[in-house]
Amino acid sequence: MTAVAEAPADAGATRAPTERERLERTWADPPGLWGWLTTVDHKRIAARYVVTAFVFFALGGIDALVMRTQLAVPEGRVVDPDRYAQLFTVHGTNMMFLFAVPVMLAVGLYMVPLMVGARNVAFPRLNALGYWAYLAGGTLLWASLLLNTGPDQGWFSYVPLALSEYSPGKRVDVWAQMITFTEISGLISAVEIVVTVLKCRAPGMTLARMPIFVWAMFVTAMMVLPSLAVIATASQMLAMDRLVDTHFFDVDRGGDAILWQHLFWWFGHPEVYIVFLPGTGFVSAVLPAFTRRQVFGYPAVVMATIATGFLGFGVWVHHMFVSGVLHQAGSFFTAASVLITIPTAVQIFCWIATIWTGRPRFGVPFLFVLGFFATFIVGGLTGVMLASIPLDQQVHDSYFVVAHLHYVLLGGGVFPLFAAVYYWFPKWTGRMLGERLGKAHFWLWFVGVQLTFFPMHLLGLAGMPRRVYTYLDGLGWNGLNATATVGAWVLALSVAAFAFNVVHALRRGARADADPWGADTLEWATPSPPPPYNFERPPVVQGRAALWSRTPDAPVVVGLSTERREILVTTAYDAEPDHRHRDPDPSIWPFVTALSVSVFFVALMFTPWAVVSGSALLLPPLLAWGWPKRERAT
Amino acid sequence: MGVAQAGAGDVSAPARPAEPLTIDVSVLPDAAFGHRGLTWWATVAFMAIEASTLLACLGALVYLRTNTTQWPPAPYAPPDVAPFAANVVLLLGKLWPFGRAEAAAKRLDEAGVRRWMLIGTLWGLVCVVLRGFELAALDVRWDDDAYGSAVWAVSVAHTSLLVTDLLESAAITAIFFLTHPQPRHFSDVEDSALYERFLSISWAVLAAALVLAPRLP
Ligand code: HEM
Repeated sequence: MTAVAEAPADAGATRAPTERERLERTWADPPGLWGWLTTVDHKRIAARYVVTAFVFFALGGIDALVMRTQLAVPEGRVVDPDRYAQLFTVHGTNMMFLFAVPVMLAVGLYMVPLMVGARNVAFPRLNALGYWAYLAGGTLLWASLLLNTGPDQGWFSYVPLALSEYSPGKRVDVWAQMITFTEISGLISAVEIVVTVLKCRAPGMTLARMPIFVWAMFVTAMMVLPSLAVIATASQMLAMDRLVDTHFFDVDRGGDAILWQHLFWWFGHPEVYIVFLPGTGFVSAVLPAFTRRQVFGYPAVVMATIATGFLGFGVWVHHMFVSGVLHQAGSFFTAASVLITIPTAVQIFCWIATIWTGRPRFGVPFLFVLGFFATFIVGGLTGVMLASIPLDQQVHDSYFVVAHLHYVLLGGGVFPLFAAVYYWFPKWTGRMLGERLGKAHFWLWFVGVQLTFFPMHLLGLAGMPRRVYTYLDGLGWNGLNATATVGAWVLALSVAAFAFNVVHALRRGARADADPWGADTLEWATPSPPPPYNFERPPVVQGRAALWSRTPDAPVVVGLSTERREILVTTAYDAEPDHRHRDPDPSIWPFVTALSVSVFFVALMFTPWAVVSGSALLLPPLLAWGWPKRERAT
Repeated sequence: MGVAQAGAGDVSAPARPAEPLTIDVSVLPDAAFGHRGLTWWATVAFMAIEASTLLACLGALVYLRTNTTQWPPAPYAPPDVAPFAANVVLLLGKLWPFGRAEAAAKRLDEAGVRRWMLIGTLWGLVCVVLRGFELAALDVRWDDDAYGSAVWAVSVAHTSLLVTDLLESAAITAIFFLTHPQPRHFSDVEDSALYERFLSISWAVLAAALVLAPRLP
């Protein structure tokens, strides 16, 4: 039995420091490189993910800049068609698989444990493995581009183009294996988030009191499970068609090219929501602090998030309207695609009500939220247009689609992401990002996005196809293309301002205290940056806005070991304390396992026998990982 | 429970403000079975992932079938029923030793776990061997045509799970024989019994799709 008891009156001065010291010692990573390789601290791992993802964002941006420079004038000569094909494929693949999805999950891996009052994610070592797999996949893709083996078949790798007959060499295999790496990592992150949310919430944080951001990450993670699993399977089928002559997609031997499209978009469309739902979570996290009120209509926003999660799986065929899907099926998917705008609209109206009835403060995170509204709504509207089959048939594969997808992804993903970075940077680093540079960053970004991508709508309507390395003079496309290129350079400037802001803040930014924004969620109850154990005494939650509703005598959790890493597991629905769980110590085995996996997957690009040698290579580290160590006596 | 009250926000605390109440969790157990524990949820999540994988393979098979009037396409015949029937029975039967191991784990009965996990693991080994016969009975190569690719995809996807699972139960068994098991290892036994159910039942479905569906009129 547990009991609520009063802390002894002398709990303050004499005992607390030693308790903290013991916690410090127990949760500390080993020093130096070894500690870096073996850490299982969710914050260190998530920070690594975030930094790596932004590096990939920058690389993908440079890639885009080269493309835009090539397209600035008709018959440009910056790159040849073969290189251009690699550039747009690597750009799209990178932005989707190495930037957008991982960065969202990474922010979740950092923030979810803090926001639910936990000491770590549910499976810290697995989490470490996920990061290393991700890094390996990203390195593979970019190294291959440098070696002129970059994938060149488009980010969705349509067959038959992607089959050996039309794509000899290893370019497509790089794509397929990169998918496998990143999907392993994504699936692991999703499992972490699901179980952490369900079982590691602070006492008192019932499901109905969970922050909206946590809900958004939870639904996202639930969407990741069935979608990423399927694309990983599909990409293996593609790899096998190329490596061991299977015929899944080979029409001559009974295979089917449309099968690939179904499998891809079963994943591909939910993926858009895997990027967008965390974006909505960021918005709901930022708004309370900047409007001084809780988000309007919590139940509606949460229900809308869940509904989006389900509907996201019902619309994949709208990417295939020109591939001859049945007529009735087409109408169904049009209806579903229009339907999914409803929960999104519900959320947007709730946010508008929040701002309307609150006292808005125009800090940088809030500006990015406003930019999100403006940009995402345009993308949403072109989405509704594209859901109608007659229109889609006209503009399919044109720059109209390029405009649409960037408005949605940048509007629904990147704007909220920047809001989140400005908002949580003080928590992550203990420093504030500069406000003036932040505003410069915002305005350059906002103007840059409109300049780059708005003209693309018009280009598409004027008939410019996507994925062309150049165009002829006299088609009426020159001015619009030049504008888009100028916009791309404005975006580059904006990202440079952001990078400078980050570096500057890390060096000499203003110190941030625990709660610089006066916000309402639990992460602000820990110091900035949080110690390895997150909370000296895990909090007990008394209401939906955990900090604003906290009474001065709010209870805290005591009785977790300070001598070994221990976390509190609570019940899934009501978050009642259930048992204590031994949290693993740092370990090198996730890293070694990831190395073995990497050798395995890369070898699998060349020979099927890698399955045998790869398994042999994987067994020892896995065994070492799982084998019980003798416990320190406590 | 006192804790629950605090959680529900209606702490009727004696009003001496600024002195935090505490919830002492040191009296709680340090491991728990079933859905109370973390690994049970991880097992369920991984089952969801693997079910998606298997369904993707099965979906490919069903989809490709719609392209031909004859299934399996000429000149192939549906796989022999016998090895598949035998392994489905064997796999479902394997749930019995694992069920016993689970019961023993819940009693924290080390000897019982050792015995039944060993039997379960050996049983699993027989299933893997029999799987070889099933693969042979497919009677088509993966590179013959799309039908061959699809039936191999379904079979190999499940086989890889079957083999990893065998290694995992062998490892758990070894831990019980060679080390002093900790409480969490008992709950691992329970989780692996849950996973066995998933593996066996999923094969019953997939085997039916491989050998029975083509025989339907
Ligand atoms: C940062 C500024 C960005 C610029 C200037 C930019 C520019 C471009 C350009 C020029 C193309 C190629 C169009 C073509 O030839 O068909 C493209 C394609 C694409 N971009 Fe971006 N992009 C940016 C950011 C992003 C982001 C953040 C994402 C995703 C989150 C993204 C996702 C894609 C995708 C999926 C494609 C399609 C690739 C393909 O056709 O296979 N982009 N982008």
